[in-house]
Amino acid sequence: MSLFSFVSIGSADVNFAGKTVTWVVPFKEGGGTSRFARFIQPFLKKYLPGNPDVQIMHIPGGGAIKGSNYFEKNAKADGTFIFGCSTSVIVNVATGNPLVKYNLSEYRPVVLLPQNTHWFTRSDLAEPHDLSKIKERKLVLYALKTPASADLFHIWIYEKLGIKGAKPIPGLSSSGGYQAFLRGEIHLSSHGAANYVKKVKPEIEKGKVVDLMTLGIIGADGSVSRNPLAPNAPTFPEMYEKVNGKKLEGDDLEAYYAIGAAWSQASKAMMLPADASDEIVKAYRDAAIKMTNDPEFKAKAVKALGPFPLIIGEEAGEIIKKAAVFSDTTKNQLNAALKKHKFTYRVQ
Amino acid sequence: MEQLLAALFQLFEPTHLAFLFAGTLLGLIVGILPGMGGTSGLALVLPFVFTMEPSHALAMMIGVLAPTTTSDTFPAVLMGVPGTAGSQATVMDGFPLSKKGMAARALSAAFSASLLGGIFGAFILSISIYYAIPIIMAFGFGEQFLLVVLALLMVGALTGDNLFKGIASCFLGLIIGSIGTAPITGDPRYTFNTLYLLEGVPLVVVGLGLFAIPEIVGLLDAKGSIAKSLNTKKGWFTGLKDVVKNWFLVLRCSTLGCLVGALPGLGGTVVDWIAYSHLKQTTKDTSQFGKGDIRGVIAPESANNAKEGGALIPTLIFGIPGSGNKVLLLGGFVLIGIEPGLDMVTTNLDLTYLMIWSLAIANILGAGICMGFSSQISKFTLVPYYILAPVMVCLIFFATFNINRDWYDFIGLLSFGILGITFKNFGWSRPALLIGFFLSSKVELLSYQTQAVYGLSFLSRPVSIILIILCLATIVLLTKQKFDNNYRSDLIKGKLTQIYYIVILLCLPLSMIWFTSSLDYRANLFPISLSVIALSLLVFILIIKIADLKNLSFLNNTFMKFARSNIFEISGNFNNQLFYYLSFIGFLLMNFIFGFPIAAALFINMFILFHNRKAYVSSICISAVLMLILWSLSSLLTLQFPNGLIGLLIDLPWWLGGQMN
Repeated sequence: MSLFSFVSIGSADVNFAGKTVTWVVPFKEGGGTSRFARFIQPFLKKYLPGNPDVQIMHIPGGGAIKGSNYFEKNAKADGTFIFGCSTSVIVNVATGNPLVKYNLSEYRPVVLLPQNTHWFTRSDLAEPHDLSKIKERKLVLYALKTPASADLFHIWIYEKLGIKGAKPIPGLSSSGGYQAFLRGEIHLSSHGAANYVKKVKPEIEKGKVVDLMTLGIIGADGSVSRNPLAPNAPTFPEMYEKVNGKKLEGDDLEAYYAIGAAWSQASKAMMLPADASDEIVKAYRDAAIKMTNDPEFKAKAVKALGPFPLIIGEEAGEIIKKAAVFSDTTKNQLNAALKKHKFTYRVQ
Repeated sequence: MEQLLAALFQLFEPTHLAFLFAGTLLGLIVGILPGMGGTSGLALVLPFVFTMEPSHALAMMIGVLAPTTTSDTFPAVLMGVPGTAGSQATVMDGFPLSKKGMAARALSAAFSASLLGGIFGAFILSISIYYAIPIIMAFGFGEQFLLVVLALLMVGALTGDNLFKGIASCFLGLIIGSIGTAPITGDPRYTFNTLYLLEGVPLVVVGLGLFAIPEIVGLLDAKGSIAKSLNTKKGWFTGLKDVVKNWFLVLRCSTLGCLVGALPGLGGTVVDWIAYSHLKQTTKDTSQFGKGDIRGVIAPESANNAKEGGALIPTLIFGIPGSGNKVLLLGGFVLIGIEPGLDMVTTNLDLTYLMIWSLAIANILGAGICMGFSSQISKFTLVPYYILAPVMVCLIFFATFNINRDWYDFIGLLSFGILGITFKNFGWSRPALLIGFFLSSKVELLSYQTQAVYGLSFLSRPVSIILIILCLATIVLLTKQKFDNNYRSDLIKGKLTQIYYIVILLCLPLSMIWFTSSLDYRANLFPISLSVIALSLLVFILIIKIADLKNLSFLNNTFMKFARSNIFEISGNFNNQLFYYLSFIGFLLMNFIFGFPIAAALFINMFILFHNRKAYVSSICISAVLMLILWSLSSLLTLQFPNGLIGLLIDLPWWLGGQMN
């Protein structure tokens, strides 16, 4: 691969005319990352120099590791290969999965699509935006897909908020978990923004469900603002301060930033291989900026991608590094939470 | 209301209809080939479906599923061989009718009964979806756990010839399904440190291996062309009149089919017999049954197509397959990102209605084509199987490769192929194995979830009690009817092979215990408990078999007689089938060396010429046509051919198996 990068550094004019760009998505068709790629695909063709064909190649399997490893091994650095990344791809790296062979933190991100998580409970269990009744309960059940996924962060979040009765029910997808929540079998539930609007908002309007908090939107300077979809709900740092009587800082803040980067800011991403030249990265970023100004994109983006603006540019690279490389203190915090709930799985 | 309209608009979109029509045609063909059913058909389609739009994929899958129980009547009536498991009872009177020269009457009665049954099923489905929300809300983890366990027990008890072998098949399926990452702890189980097994064995590989391959070798073993002669010219109108005259029977049997179909796990294999025996019990003059009574065709056909609608109920709202082919439908849902459950009746209601109406339209299309082109379609049954078989094998290999583009899938395919062949020949239940395999992770998770939320108290919840009673009653009623037949153990040859086979089967649970024993208890409790149960069942069956072989005296009480019934299977020519199976391994090696396109062309020509030296014209034509179809498919769907060693050495174009791009 290094050979290719030498060649491409020499050519200042990037032109993809007549070429085909292969977008490797390490998930199956129909998933969130696939939908993200499909939405961007026509705009990419329209705005990349030379209007190349963009084909999406799905390589699912091995918890997204198979397709990611495939990309690492086969991607050319000349801009004809791009990678569809998501939280699970990042978590595989951040948690030190031994099967990972891709060097994600060095990849060159073009576009990040942020997401946000909403927490809520049944109206008979708590007042809106108030955890005090929940904290009194002996048993607070919540859904957890597997501890080796991003759901791991739930364990940490509940731990830091001092919900002593919190007990994960394993093997529940977010939609299966939400069903069990509606049936009254589990007490706390969470959803991403899209499903929050579609499924949870109607229940809140009926008075059956109340908002608790959101993860919060992390800005480039590290400030945290409220989620516009639930402007009255406190963010996690606010809730942390209310519960613990002190500001979120130190190791806890560091862990929050790492989790926020992986879970929220880099929820979906489009990346170039690590050895892609600056010219190629710039050509892609320019195309992405033109895309966000396209009237058709503006008209459809909120419905297809959610309300949070795309992150483009150098800032994106910082976020990916933060998300993919957890510091030892953050790892220790996560492992302590895992250990407390008797999971054998450990972040490496 | 809005969603209803949205579904209607989508239904009549030309592309949607086109995919539905293509699926229906494929389903018709799959139904006509004896032994191949919706399960094999869907398994073939699935690898290609996930490159399509979800709604198109849905149309295609429903299209394949709907008409198989209609077109399977051709072989049942014309040849006396059921086209799918659901038309076994149709043979009883359909074949005698055809021998009397009334094939056309039998076919037209069957098609119209099937059509009415199918539409009735779709109608009931659309009504029950309306009431599904309270049902889903009433079914918590505990109830779902019971539902799954009951489904497994029913499948095990009813799809095998012998109760214990059926249940043991189920447990073996559950064990195979527990291979992969343990859901609670994330420990790899039985994966031998490979990435391939980390997510378990792919469903399509299991489906194709267990169902398609054994049927192909079985029919090759049976040799020769499929049907001898055709007489389908006259009597169409008589058949239609028969159905109109027996409208009440159609209604009763459709209701029955719908109800039985809705019982999770039960589905296809018994519903036709239930309808047939209902017919016998409610008729005064039973003298003509088995000799060519038209009602003996109408009853099972209306029931077995009505069951498709019924079987979709547990499939859509609980993700518990109503029958073997629904397992693959659920696998397809996963591929296109549809999750069964509450969403199907709320946010995804438009998709649900789209499915139901596609089902109805595919039924009408299927029955219409069967009637309108019956004489052309029935010629399919005249094509010698040695011509069809290699084509099928090439399609299966092509489909298999496109699941993950992974060579390991071929090894999986051939391993499940030999498992399927032996299961079929030695009388073990393949549907039970498949459903057990599919439901394994669900059983494991639900048992943890139930335990976490309820402990054992879930057993005393009202819905649970109803479920337990329902299940026990069904099993008692159905086993009584099923095992009433007389069993002639002394006619069976090769009993020793079937005894040795159990010893091989024992290796699976034993090795599972061996490899998982060092893991955390939350990772190995499930596979080890399953293995212990499977071991005890297998040892019990082994003892009964040996006792049966030696004719020991303790077999002479009622329970033992029951346990002994059908403990051995009258198998086909097993060695012959093994020979054909080996030729598939040869094909795999050819793929490995030459890449798929060259290997496929070689294989088809060699296979056909081996059986008939003079058929070189047709063999060349067939291989050419097949390759043209596959080439256009690959460029349309950006699929890839397996490239062999040659492809690594020489830069081949993609259509000869070279690398894309």
